[in-house]
Amino acid sequence: MDTILKIDGVSKRFGGLMALADVSFEVKKGRILGLIGPNGAGKTTMFNCIAGIYKPTEGRIVFDKETGPVDVGGSRPEQMTQMGVARTFQNIRLFGSLPVLDNVRIGRHCRAAQGFWGAVLRTKGQKAEERMLVEQSMEYLDFVGLKNKALDLSSSLSYGDQRRLEIARALASQPKLLLLDEPAAGMNPQETASLVDLIHAIMRKDITVVLIEHDMKLVMSICEHLVVLDHGVKIAEGGPRDIRENPEVIEAYLGRGAAHA
Amino acid sequence: MTGNKTALKLLGLAALLAFPVLPFSSEYVMHVAVLIMVYAVLAMGLNVLPGFCNLLDLGYVGFYGIGAYTAGILALNHNVSFWLIVPGAIALGALCGMLRGAPTLRLSGDYFAIVTFGFTELVVLFLTNEIWLTRGPLGLPGIPPIALSLEFLGIDWRYDFLSEIPYYYLGLAMVGAVYVVMCRIEDSRLGRAWLAIKEDPLAAASCGINLMAYKTVAFAFSAGVGALAGCFMAQWSMFLAPDVFKFWESFLVLCMIVLGGLGNINGAIVGAVVLIALGEVLRVLLPKLGLPAETRFLVYGLIMILIMRFKPGGFFPTIAATSKKSRLILDLKARLQAERAG
Ligand SMILES: Nc1ncnc2c1ncn2[C@@H]1O[C@H](COP(=O)(O)OP(=O)(O)OP(=O)(O)O)[C@@H](O)[C@H]1O
Ligand SMILES: [Mg+2]
Repeated sequence: MDTILKIDGVSKRFGGLMALADVSFEVKKGRILGLIGPNGAGKTTMFNCIAGIYKPTEGRIVFDKETGPVDVGGSRPEQMTQMGVARTFQNIRLFGSLPVLDNVRIGRHCRAAQGFWGAVLRTKGQKAEERMLVEQSMEYLDFVGLKNKALDLSSSLSYGDQRRLEIARALASQPKLLLLDEPAAGMNPQETASLVDLIHAIMRKDITVVLIEHDMKLVMSICEHLVVLDHGVKIAEGGPRDIRENPEVIEAYLGRGAAHA
Repeated sequence: MTGNKTALKLLGLAALLAFPVLPFSSEYVMHVAVLIMVYAVLAMGLNVLPGFCNLLDLGYVGFYGIGAYTAGILALNHNVSFWLIVPGAIALGALCGMLRGAPTLRLSGDYFAIVTFGFTELVVLFLTNEIWLTRGPLGLPGIPPIALSLEFLGIDWRYDFLSEIPYYYLGLAMVGAVYVVMCRIEDSRLGRAWLAIKEDPLAAASCGINLMAYKTVAFAFSAGVGALAGCFMAQWSMFLAPDVFKFWESFLVLCMIVLGGLGNINGAIVGAVVLIALGEVLRVLLPKLGLPAETRFLVYGLIMILIMRFKPGGFFPTIAATSKKSRLILDLKARLQAERAG
């Protein structure tokens, strides 16, 4: 099976803190990988390195572009988005004073082209593109079930809907790889259930997903493959069953001695 | 409902066009009206940075000065045609805007504010000290008024601006053009990218927006508009001095957009109307109270504080207001309503 993303010995240091220490794993195309670990394990830091927000202190991040695999470590966020890596944020970062639709239109930014002169002169091409942006954005909103709220202010949405909107905004950039950072956090059981359906629907669109999630039941039910981080170190990797029974993982989550209890 | 609104708009436009012939429109009233238009353009231009991109600009009138002196020097010493002065001044302003912003592109917004503050001082120092070019503190008197001519097309037509009235109409056209351009940009991919940067730069970058490129466009555009206002003003007032472009003037324009609502284009115009009118009132009132005219900046400061305390969004707090009334969005709204009903 093809590898879409290869993390190769990545370290990230913040002053004296090793947030990631020599982490390596591969993400297979078309599958869903779960990235788990206790608080402060370095999961979000890993996403930030992949998405171009942090430059890894060491190691390579190899992304499989159409033209072949390239080391993308140290690329800027907008370059990563352009290449086909989109992400959501653990602490929701929507454009709160803008309508829902505009959030998705902005998410689609890198798949459109009109600039200053197009806007000022309202050229034919510009008008056509604007029309298309609305249509396409509405399709993404429909996909996540927010079509009817398109013109509401995005900060007025419920917590669960805000998380869905973040997913729609990320999808609008037509990613090949989607990084979801705790999408179920703060959701009630019904919302979580429909999120699972949404993630399955995203997978059917041939988008590879990496999922950070604290809800173990959720992760174990939808991920075929898991990577476990603790204190910046990869402590285990494998299928849900292996991970659940791995003594090191149990120890990391429940504290020393728990594995033997 | 919509018919009423259209009628109201047409009435407003008619009033604006008929304004110079109304009985109370003395030379003084016309002068104030033109001054308002100059500041309306400045306020709309400044609004691009703090209003659309959340970049605090404390030195905006520097570009007003650059535009004004460019126009003044070209018209006075080189007899350059108005048709060339305008694009020249805008281009020079835009270039200076990019140069001013460039060192701050990789830094946070706070650094930008500091650089802009230094920039206005620099412009005033330049205008004061480069006597060979600007005549320094003596200023530039005797700038010729605007003359529109079609001689370059071989048509023998020339119109000299000899009273406030032609300036009024040209100013109106300028405000209208800048307003339309601002609205079109606000409701476009570019405008949305700016608003995304304003709301959350990190999320904007993650949406594929190149922060440096889009900020650079904003720097150039905002500065170009300031220079446009400057070149209109130079040939209207026919006299320039470095003092006109001091920091306090930038502060006044900033007050206008804070009052109107940061990021709202209509708000910028309303802010200009209110504060210029207030300034005229204060100019008469303050000396009567035995206070120097400069005390008016205390009043502006007070207004700024009151607005931030009681109405932090200004009087027109909506951002991306143009898009809400655009054809595309109105159609979408109708469609969604129909779907919900049916
Ligand atoms: N920009 C930063 N500067 C300094 N330290 C940071 C920075 N970002 C993260 N850290 C630190 O790196 C460590 C890993 O943080 P990270 O956010 O990646 O954890 P996480 O696995 O996502 O945890 P959680 O489950 O709580 O979200 C933490 O100790 C955190 O304090
Ligand atoms: Mg995290």
